[in-house]
Amino acid sequence: MRARDNPFTIERIHGVRYRPFHTTLEGLILCLETMDYRAALVGPDGSGKTTLLEDLRHALTERGQRTRLVFVNDTCPLNGPRRRQLLADVAPDEIVFFDGADVIPRATWLMVKRRLLQEAAGLVITSHRPGLLPTLLECSTTPLLLRQIVDTLQPEHQPVPTDLLDDLFDRHHGNIRDCLRDLYDAFACDRVA
Amino acid sequence: MEKLEITFREDKTTFKPREMVHGAIQWNLPTVPKHLDLNLFWYTEGKGTRDVGVVETLKFDNIGAFGSKAFSFTLPDGPYSFSGKLISLIWALELTCSPGSETVRQEIVVSPTGQEIALDEVPSAGRSPLDGAAGRGLLGRLLSSRK
Repeated sequence: MRARDNPFTIERIHGVRYRPFHTTLEGLILCLETMDYRAALVGPDGSGKTTLLEDLRHALTERGQRTRLVFVNDTCPLNGPRRRQLLADVAPDEIVFFDGADVIPRATWLMVKRRLLQEAAGLVITSHRPGLLPTLLECSTTPLLLRQIVDTLQPEHQPVPTDLLDDLFDRHHGNIRDCLRDLYDAFACDRVA
Repeated sequence: MEKLEITFREDKTTFKPREMVHGAIQWNLPTVPKHLDLNLFWYTEGKGTRDVGVVETLKFDNIGAFGSKAFSFTLPDGPYSFSGKLISLIWALELTCSPGSETVRQEIVVSPTGQEIALDEVPSAGRSPLDGAAGRGLLGRLLSSRK
């Protein structure tokens, strides 16, 4: 199958938005408001933290709130120049959405957190572990969630059997992102198409 | 007609590198736009993050709520339109309206052969990304389930 025809391209996957359990995006925003926009989205890899962070940011931006997204990971670290730039640029009416707060060293985090809490209107982070800021939501996944996501992406004439999805979910310990990457590979090698 | 439309001269949508692309845009909008932008660009689609290259933009100012304009672009040497299993490179023209969210896109093929280049599978001498336990198990079962 040509890459452009693959139902699991990164663009199509990015089109799938976060699906909160037992609440709604609106409910989360209300909760965030009561937390004075100082909160953490916590969960393992591939559980939707970044997607939810983007969704919250988008929803607040749509309401006229100024926001700033900071993305940090091993290949895009918060080094000295970047950190100084962030702290120099942040505005008092901005909410900072900080993806990957637990990736930076603890001492750096404590300094960045203190400054952002002082100088910005809010700080919403993602982290693999709780404790960096009060937890807004613990992101988790289920085999049913994987099935629902795959259902929105897969072609109707080529559904992936649910037992295979459950198997995939177990192999990747609930990491939905890795499951979808495997499905990309599986469809890429399908010569039936 | 649609609110925005891109048409090509003689309905030609396959071009060789450095060839001219001729066509026209039509618009029929509820309000007078500030301007319309017609972008010639390519983008990638596949497993990895999307790359985009905007080659040229034509801006149409001082226009009414409806009308049409001719356009022409000269294509560059490349990249060629191609598709493999991991990545496709797609050329397109996109017409956008400002302000507003109206947009329309038309794909074209840019290739010296007149067709999208198909990247053939290269026999792997080493380990394939799909050779892992997860890939092998799932892939095998998926493919066998479709026979």
